[in-house]
Amino acid sequence: MTINSATLTALIGTAALALLPLVLPPYYVGLMIPFFGYAIALLGFNLLFGYTGLLSFGHAMFLGLGAYGAAVMSGVFGVKSFELVLLAVMLGSAVIALPIAFLCARYVGIFFGMLTLAFGMLFYSFLFKFYHLTGGDSGMRVPRMNILGLTFERYNKIEFLAGPFYYYCLGLLVIAGLVMWRIVHSPFGLHLKTIRDNARKAEYLGVHVHRFRLAAFVISAAFGAVGGAILAFRVGLADPELVYWTQSGQLVFMGVLGGFSNFFGPIIGALTYTLLQDQLQSLTEYWRSMLGVILALIVIGFPEGIAGLAVDLRRRLARRSQ
Amino acid sequence: MSAFANILAGGVFHAAVLFLVAAGLQLVFGVQKIVNLACGSFYALGAYFGITFINYTTQFGISPWLIFPGLIISGIMLGFIGPPIERILRSVYGRDESFQLLLTFALVLIFQDVFKFIWGANPRSLDSAYLVYGTLRAGDFSIPVYNLLVILAAIAIAGGLGLFLQRTNYGRLLRATAENRAMAEALGVDVRRIYSTVFTLGAVLGTIAGALVVPTAAASLDMAIEFVIEAFAVVVIGGLGSMRGALVGALIVGLIRALSIVFFPELEVLAIYLIVIGVLIFRPVGLFGRSFA
Amino acid sequence: MAISRRKVLTSAAALGALSISDRVCSPAIAQNKPLRIGVLAPRAGIAAAPGLNGIRATQWAVEGFNAKDGIGGRKVELVIEDESTPKDTIERFSKLVQQEKVDCVQGIISTGVGLALGPAVEEARALTIYWDGTTQDGVDEKIPNPRYLFRSTDNECEAVMSSLLAIKNWKGKFATVAGINPDYSYGRNNMAAFVAMLKRFNIEHQVVTEQWPKVGTMDLTSHVAALKAAKPDLIFSSLLFADLPVFMKQAHAAGLTEGTKLVFPAAGWQHTLMKKEFTPEGMLFGHNTLYFANPNASPLAKEFVAWYEKTHQDYPEWEADRAYFAIASYKEAVEKAMKAKGGSWPSQDDVIDSLVGLSIDSLGGKSSWRKDHIADQTFVQGLTTHKNNYDFVTLGSFETMYSTELQKPPGANFWEWIKSAQFKV
Repeated sequence: MTINSATLTALIGTAALALLPLVLPPYYVGLMIPFFGYAIALLGFNLLFGYTGLLSFGHAMFLGLGAYGAAVMSGVFGVKSFELVLLAVMLGSAVIALPIAFLCARYVGIFFGMLTLAFGMLFYSFLFKFYHLTGGDSGMRVPRMNILGLTFERYNKIEFLAGPFYYYCLGLLVIAGLVMWRIVHSPFGLHLKTIRDNARKAEYLGVHVHRFRLAAFVISAAFGAVGGAILAFRVGLADPELVYWTQSGQLVFMGVLGGFSNFFGPIIGALTYTLLQDQLQSLTEYWRSMLGVILALIVIGFPEGIAGLAVDLRRRLARRSQ
Repeated sequence: MSAFANILAGGVFHAAVLFLVAAGLQLVFGVQKIVNLACGSFYALGAYFGITFINYTTQFGISPWLIFPGLIISGIMLGFIGPPIERILRSVYGRDESFQLLLTFALVLIFQDVFKFIWGANPRSLDSAYLVYGTLRAGDFSIPVYNLLVILAAIAIAGGLGLFLQRTNYGRLLRATAENRAMAEALGVDVRRIYSTVFTLGAVLGTIAGALVVPTAAASLDMAIEFVIEAFAVVVIGGLGSMRGALVGALIVGLIRALSIVFFPELEVLAIYLIVIGVLIFRPVGLFGRSFA
Repeated sequence: MAISRRKVLTSAAALGALSISDRVCSPAIAQNKPLRIGVLAPRAGIAAAPGLNGIRATQWAVEGFNAKDGIGGRKVELVIEDESTPKDTIERFSKLVQQEKVDCVQGIISTGVGLALGPAVEEARALTIYWDGTTQDGVDEKIPNPRYLFRSTDNECEAVMSSLLAIKNWKGKFATVAGINPDYSYGRNNMAAFVAMLKRFNIEHQVVTEQWPKVGTMDLTSHVAALKAAKPDLIFSSLLFADLPVFMKQAHAAGLTEGTKLVFPAAGWQHTLMKKEFTPEGMLFGHNTLYFANPNASPLAKEFVAWYEKTHQDYPEWEADRAYFAIASYKEAVEKAMKAKGGSWPSQDDVIDSLVGLSIDSLGGKSSWRKDHIADQTFVQGLTTHKNNYDFVTLGSFETMYSTELQKPPGANFWEWIKSAQFKV
């Protein structure tokens, strides 16, 4: 993807998202907040999956760390600044990810998937069992915080979410996107792709495969934590269901739906899945199987996801015009 | 002492059921290299269908004594879903393992609503007809004979599978295909047919497990996704692809769970995950490695 | 060509204006449109069965209303969404309120979800009536004075009633006590309440074992074995999901149910699965706010049970009553407020003010709303019997208690209240 077309996509996308609150009904604007959270988390997830080739089936645990981190920071320690909370959960998540990454990054494929699944469920059980600390099934409250030092007193929570916080999250997504773009297009990113394509060859070339995988894992954990904090802020609660293995599966679904080989794929996937799930849930109580069918179709027929389809379409149009 | 024996008996019963599902997982992984997240769904399917089948046959006056073979038959009957699902999975064989995992995850989602649609949201169960076989007592120790039958059935199936894989020609073919598909194909083996058979066998092991467990428990919508975790734990501890591993892994998981409930209740679920992580770290190939035996 | 900025803004303003005017539209127009009630109930997962009970009861009630004048002359439409995880349920709630623009939201069974949704309800300023959800963290009320939210009775009511009846029936007849409760806040609070009640009445007891199976787990043989080993005289259990009949079956198979006193405050949720073969007689069995075979039930309740049996080949449990109370009290409140306004449609605030203090005859008996927006309802518990025409146990003898005797008054601390309250035993 040339820089120009990527910049164009980013600009159009950002502009469209910025204009959304003016056009969409308030409910859908509110629905965009989880989209932002998932999009940021998926940018990190895709670093691991699309660029390093490691499929984690326990990634929801980092969203959980972000959510519970936010609950502890603001609910227990009374921190008011959302920026401070974000920094704290990113750090905390990265620190916790370090030993996990150290253990998991030795493996690939199925083993990596199963190991991450186990860690994810371990965290879930921990959240449930140690209810004195974590609130168990009731979760932990996440009170409202200040963004950029402003409290926006006159807005009630709903107005706040549809207004200032929406643009704040859009800003976070843009920043996250820029950071991830730099990461992916840096020598580090190149190393990851090499490792993904042929780990043994990379090893022969002197690349410390394990170390790079570890770094990718830790970075993806930090992104995941930011996403989780946004999700928890919106709902006002960090709850353990966020960490169950099917939630990790949902993250993978979003990633594949959007297209994991494309930089913008995760963002597209998060948006599409959020809207799709909302529409299906109102349509029928059997929405899970509909999503299952869609996932199956993508895996079988369109493994490159929506982004892949778009790129394919562009290529065909370009060819036709020649 | 008898309390301990009761706990052990409970653990072994759970292990027997776990073994059946894990054996199915191992077969499918060993030959086709697919980790089937939908194994829990087969388990649940067996449970739900077992209830329907037994209720149906009871209407025709079939004696409650036949409940045990009846459940096994109901599990086998579900074999017909094996080939079509395998056909679906066939489209991702050559591809990255992640896609296979994802496709089976899609199946999990679809199955969940299939259960809801056919059997409703209420949990289903059978009445206690299974107690017709009586209870074995020795002082304070007691175990329903039905539970013993299930344990024996699991052992028999384990033995049967072992014999089948080691001693029969078809078993040899399976092992050959597992070790080297290309070679087997070159030697004229109809690999497609084998894949279909193996997957069906794996599915049937799962459905039989679900059917056998249902008299003592119940069938519910959440069964499928809850059970996957334990089945995976068994397979990882025992070693992916190993039948012996499935047996030992099932015993370990079943007994650890039973013992921790009584002695370390805070650890109960955590214990299993910690063991899984421990095994994956110190002996990633599991106790019995990748050998298909 | 690109859409002009002005056009976008004006159309947005128009859309915005529409959405505002919809909520404050003049009563005259409102009265010709149907009344929309949003229902948030689980239709999958461990609470799907009671969710279904509640939905069916609501649908039956609405059919009955619509056959006559609806509510205040307007026909009623139901919009049903799934209650699932706290995060997803808050989203569905937002959809009901902001997008579907329902006039009232009813539902919610899980306490965890209820607690998470509470602040969202108050922020949204949308009248919401919980069926079975509370806003308590354990036994502590987290939202003491909500404006828009109405919540169910405390979760501990059934435990308190069971404790009272257990003491009344079996005082002096048990020394060792065991508990097997689901490992989450509801189970923990129930067990703690029971033990606190025993202490309060100075009943000599020794807790020999406490089992905490994972919520909804189907494999309880080890727990049963542990219980057997402890040899308790009395077992207290607030198991209430699909694990309850499974426990009963496995306990019966292990011989645990013979000669042990069983106290099960929430067993009524699964009552049709508590088959006679493995559920003993003389067990203290709680039906919460609806006992389907109550001979003293109102004609309406009997009609409902008969309808439920005919249409669904099943017998309703208490969630049906909770759902009925929500919609029936809403109807009463709306019509009462309408009358007070001389026939014009009441505002949401009018309805809320009408609901407070309102008392109706729900399916399970007298039910009313306290001024702190928590319900008071009639609870039924009794001893099981096999002498009936069903294949499951019913109550041979039972007692009813009004929740004013069972739940802490507004603002009180639960543990302090237990110590000092006047109980009628």
